[in-house]
Formats: sequence, structure tokens, C-alpha cells
Amino acid sequence: MTWARLGKIALAVVGLGIGVVGVLALREATLSTHEAVDARETRLVLSGETKGGEENQTLSEMVEAQVLTCRLEVESDLAGPIERLGDGRYRAVLVPALDDSNQRQFRGCLEDWVIDHVRLDVEQLDQIR
Amino acid sequence: MKVIAWLAGIGTLVAGGFYMIVSLNRWEWNRALFFGLIVLIAEVALATGLVLRRLTRLEYRIRRPVDPVVADALRETRPPSPDRFEWLRDATQRPNVFITFLIGGGVILSAGAWVVDRVAQKTSSPVGEQKLARQLSGISYPSGGLLLDDVTVLAQEVPGANDDQIRWLLRRAPHQ
Repeated sequence: MTWARLGKIALAVVGLGIGVVGVLALREATLSTHEAVDARETRLVLSGETKGGEENQTLSEMVEAQVLTCRLEVESDLAGPIERLGDGRYRAVLVPALDDSNQRQFRGCLEDWVIDHVRLDVEQLDQIR
Repeated sequence: MKVIAWLAGIGTLVAGGFYMIVSLNRWEWNRALFFGLIVLIAEVALATGLVLRRLTRLEYRIRRPVDPVVADALRETRPPSPDRFEWLRDATQRPNVFITFLIGGGVILSAGAWVVDRVAQKTSSPVGEQKLARQLSGISYPSGGLLLDDVTVLAQEVPGANDDQIRWLLRRAPHQ
């Protein structure tokens, strides 16, 4: 067996290993695993901007719609109305507190392309004891 | 230009795949779907480009003019054509599978010819007879017989003129 053939086999084995490790890592990162949380609630601060939307639809309505939509993907509810902080920033509180998996899922949903013409950026998503 | 196009395609594929994985890691499913679609489009475009490039190479090889010197050399050194019917000559010298094929083929051909003959006989004869009858109607005798003059009537009484065919033609009763 020549060195070139051995090199090709080694390269194929390394590539296969990288692929398997990558798929397993992606599986671990996207797997929803829940755990007990000591905190009482989770505070959310986000900023949003709209572009090309309908004339009568405000940014506040779009933010509220997306937050309520994403809230359905986790086990927590809004503890009150969404506060408008100005300059396109909003704050909300969710109870009970989100665990790590739910936090990632909630953040991903908020920053995803869920509703047309609006884009949200999560600035803060902390647990409050 | 082609290099730029290939680089753009490969870059789109790699970037789309990278952002698809990043979006999946961030739980952004709609973004992941979008970038996955970009990856799919780039992959199809690259695959199509590869296939077209291979086809173009083949076409170039086919259309390339042939060197006459090479063609002459090949023509002169062409091996003789194999005698593909040698087995037939051998088969006529001894009864083997050729005879079986010959007899079997003859039987099958005969059967086919018999079927064709029977079908033609059943279908073409009546049609041919009707056609011939129409053609002969122009020269046939009148159905009511010929008009006889006195000479002809008297001629029947002539000895030796007792002809049944003439009587039938004249629609006369046989002479008593």
C-alpha cells in the first residue's frame, strides 16, 4: 500500500470523524432538555425595528405579536404588559423563569424571521431571583 | 469569467451552509430553512455546471477534426472483417442446430401462409366475384331473350339445327 493511498484513507477517516462530531454537537445544541430553575422570573429587554410594513401597523403591535407567538414555544407566560422603553426598546417579564434550554429557544424565536417586516434583537434575557 | 462564476457558486454554497448551521445552533428555524434553500440552489447550480462542463468536453472531442494521416494509417491497418456466417457453411455439411431452425422456420412460415391464404380466400373471392359480375353485365344477354324474326323461328325447324344451347338462348322449349 502506497503512502498516497494511506494519506487518502487517513484524510477520509478524519473527515468522517469531523462530520460525526459536528452532527452530534448540532444535535446536542438543538435538543430541548429542561431542568429545575431557582430563579423566580425572567426579564426580557429587546429592541426592534420595522421596515416596509403596513402603514397602520406599529412597531409595538409587531413586537407584542412576536413575543406572544414565541411565548407559546416555552413554558412561561408574560407577567404583565410589554413596557415600551422608547427608541424601539421594550421590556417584558416572564414567569416562571426560563431554564437554559428555554432561554435559547425563546431568544432564537424572537430573533428569527417569524413576522414579516419586523426584526427583533434580544438585548437582555436574565433570570431574576 | 467562468472562474468568477465557479467561485461565486462555491462561496454561496459554503456561506449558506455555514449560516444554516449557525441558525440551527441558535434555534432560528426560519433562517435555517432559508439558508438551507440557498445551499440547495447553489448545489443544484454547481452540479448543473459540472454536468454541462463534462458535456462540453465530450462535444469538443467529437467535433475535433480528424488527422488524415492517422485516419489513413487506421484504414490501412484495419483488421479483416470477421466471417460472421461461417457457422452457416459448416451447418450445411452436417445436420445440427441450423437444420432445426430451418425446419422450424419453414413450419412457422407455412402455418402463417396457410392462415393468410384462408383469410384471403374467405374475404377476397366474394368481393372479386361481385366485381366480375358488374364488369360482365355490360356484355350479357338481355334477360327477356332475343327478339326473333321469322327466319330464325323457321330455322329451328331445319334438320340439324336442334341445338339445346340455341334454344336456351332463345328461351324456347326443347324441340319435341
